[in-house]
Amino acid sequence: MSHTLIIGLGNPILTDDGVGVQVARAVEDALPPHLRDEVRVTEAAVGGLRLMEMMAGYRRVILIDAMLGPDPAGTLRRLTLPELETISPTQHSASAHDASLITALEAGRRMGLPLPDDIVIYAIAAENVVDFGEQPTPAVAQAIPRAVEAVINEIVHSS
Amino acid sequence: MKRITIDPITRLEGHGKIEIFLDEEGEVANAYFQIPELRGFEQFCLGRPAEEMPRITNRICGVCPEAHHMAATKALDALYHVEPSSAVKKLREMFYMAFYVTDHTTHFYALGGPDFVVGPDAPKAERNILGVIHKVGVEVGKQVIDCRMRNHHVIQMLGGRGIHPVAGLPGGWAKAVGEEERQEIEAIARQNVDFALFSLKVFDDIVLANKQYVDMVLSDAFTHRTYYMGTVDANNHVNFYDGMIRVVDPDGKEFVKYHPRDYAQHIAERVEPWTYLKFPYLKVVGWKGFVDGRESGVYCATPLSRLNAADGMATPRAQEAFEKFYETLGAKKINGRYEPVHYRLATHWARLIELLFAAERMLELAQDPEITDPNVRVVVKNAPDEGVGSVEAPRGTLTHHYQTDENGMLTKVNLIVGTTNNYAPIAMSVKKAAQSLIHKGAVITDGLLNRIEMAFRLYDPCMSCATHSLPGQMPLEVVIRDAEGAVVQRLTQYVDSRLYD
Repeated sequence: MSHTLIIGLGNPILTDDGVGVQVARAVEDALPPHLRDEVRVTEAAVGGLRLMEMMAGYRRVILIDAMLGPDPAGTLRRLTLPELETISPTQHSASAHDASLITALEAGRRMGLPLPDDIVIYAIAAENVVDFGEQPTPAVAQAIPRAVEAVINEIVHSS
Repeated sequence: MKRITIDPITRLEGHGKIEIFLDEEGEVANAYFQIPELRGFEQFCLGRPAEEMPRITNRICGVCPEAHHMAATKALDALYHVEPSSAVKKLREMFYMAFYVTDHTTHFYALGGPDFVVGPDAPKAERNILGVIHKVGVEVGKQVIDCRMRNHHVIQMLGGRGIHPVAGLPGGWAKAVGEEERQEIEAIARQNVDFALFSLKVFDDIVLANKQYVDMVLSDAFTHRTYYMGTVDANNHVNFYDGMIRVVDPDGKEFVKYHPRDYAQHIAERVEPWTYLKFPYLKVVGWKGFVDGRESGVYCATPLSRLNAADGMATPRAQEAFEKFYETLGAKKINGRYEPVHYRLATHWARLIELLFAAERMLELAQDPEITDPNVRVVVKNAPDEGVGSVEAPRGTLTHHYQTDENGMLTKVNLIVGTTNNYAPIAMSVKKAAQSLIHKGAVITDGLLNRIEMAFRLYDPCMSCATHSLPGQMPLEVVIRDAEGAVVQRLTQYVDSRLYD
C-alpha cells in the first residue's frame, strides 16, 4: 500500500469548488516516477466521516481544497490540522450525515482505525462555489500551477 | 419585532438559516427556514448528452449521489424506451439497498444520535458522534464504522466507483456480479440485518425506555397532521427502488396513487417572496399556507411518510417492526391498515425500520438466482424524447425529468429532490417547536435552540451539493433583536456545537 495519499477535494462541476480536484489531477501527472509507487492520488467530494475513512491505513495525507474566507481569490495557504480546527466547519459538509473532519478523525482514532498523524491541507481561496460550471474563475485558475508546485515540493522534500 | 437568527444549522447538509420573529410580547410570531440555493444546474445540463446525466447528477449531492445516479438511470430507461431485464432491476436494487443501509445508519448515529442517544440537554461538547460513542460504547462505534465501510465496499463493487457511481446505463447496468462477489455481498447483507436489529434495540433501550424522550416524541410541539407520500409496490408495501407514488390523507385514506411520470399532474410548486425555495404541494387540494390538515395541500415525504403511505413492509422482520411501531404509538387499524402516525420525531424510529427493510431486501436479492445473470446490458434502439425516473431517496421521493432532441441532447431538465418535498413541513415544524419553547421571559438557552433544530433535523434535510469549500468563518449565529430591530444579544455557535458569547 502507498504511504502517502493525496486527495483533491471538491465538486468538479461547481466552478471554484472543483479547484482541489484539478490540482490533484495535475499533481498526479507531475509526480516524479520514483514516487509513483508510494504516493496515491485520488479525488473526492466528501467530508467528515467518509473522508476520514478514506485516510485509514496511510501514514500521510495531503488534502487539496477550495476555501472561502477573507483572502483574495487564488490565495494559496498551507494549513495543518490544528490550524484547520480553529476555522470551523466546512461549508457544505457540516452535514446531517456527518461530523467535521476533526471530530471524524477523533471518532476514528477512538475506534482503533489506523489513521495518519501527518495531515496537511493546501487551501485555495475561492470566489464562486454556488454556480454550476466546470472551470474555475480566472484568479483561482491562476493558482493551480503554484499549488501543484507546492504539493510536489512537499512530497519530494519529505519522502 | 424581535428577530432570532440561527445561521447556519450545524449537522445540516449544506448550510441553512432559521429566522424566528418575535412580537412585542416576546412570543414567536413567525419562523422561516431559509437556505441558499445553488444556481444554474438545469442550464448547466442543457445541450449535453442525456446519457451523461447519471454521472453529472450524482455530483449534485455528496450525501446521496447513489440516489441521483439511480433516478437518472431510470429516467434514461424511460427516455430511450427500454425496459431493463428483471436481473438488471434486481442488481440496481441491491446496489441501492447497500446505499440505504449506510445512509440510514449514518443518520441515526451521527444525527439522531446527538439528539436522542446523548439527549437534547446534554452538554454542547457531547452532542456529536463522539458523545454518541461515549454513551453507547466504542464497540458500537466500531460497528457503525464497519457497517459504513462494508457497504461502501459493495457500492464500489456494484457501482464501479467508490463515491460517485458510474454503472447506470439506459436499460442496463455496466457490470454483472460474479458468484464470488455474490457470496461476499450475501455475507455483508447478513451482517446488515443483524446490525439493523441491533440498532432497533438501541432505540428501544435508549429512547423508548426513557419516559422523558417518549413524552417529547408524543408532544404536540413535534406533531403535524399532513398528507404523506411514498413509493409502494404492487402490494402497497414500501419500496425504495420502484413502484407507484401513493399519497394518503391525514386520516390514512388513500388520496391518490399515480405513476411517477405523472407527477406534474399531482404536484405544484408554491413560490414565497422571502425565499428562493419552491414549496411543492398537492395540486388538487391547493395551497392554503403553512398549515396542517386535510384542506391544506402540504404533504410530507420522509421515512415516516413512507410507512404511513404504505400498508406494510415487504420483508418479515421489518413488517414485525412496522406493526410494533404503530401499536406502540397507539395507531388504530382502519380497514385493515394502520392510521398514520403524526409524531414527527417518530421519523427517527421509522428510519431504523427502513434500515431493517433495506438490509433484509439486500439479503433476499443477494440470494436470488437471477442476480448473477451476466446479461446486464442492452442495445438501445429507440430514439430518445422524454423520460421521468423516480426513486425514494432516503430524504424523500426523488424525481428526474428529462427531454431531449432526436440526438439525445438535453433540452429540458427538471428535478424534484427528496428534501424539496419537505420544505413546507420543515418550516411548519420549526415554527411550532419555536412557539412551544420560546415564551415571554424565557431565557433562550442552547437547549431550547437545539430543540428547534431537532424539529428540522428529523427530516434529515439535505440542502446542497457536494461542494465543501473550507470557510474562513462559518459559525452558527444567533442574533436577537428588539422591537426596533436593534441587536440586543449575539450568540455564536461553532462546529460540534460549542457555544461562545
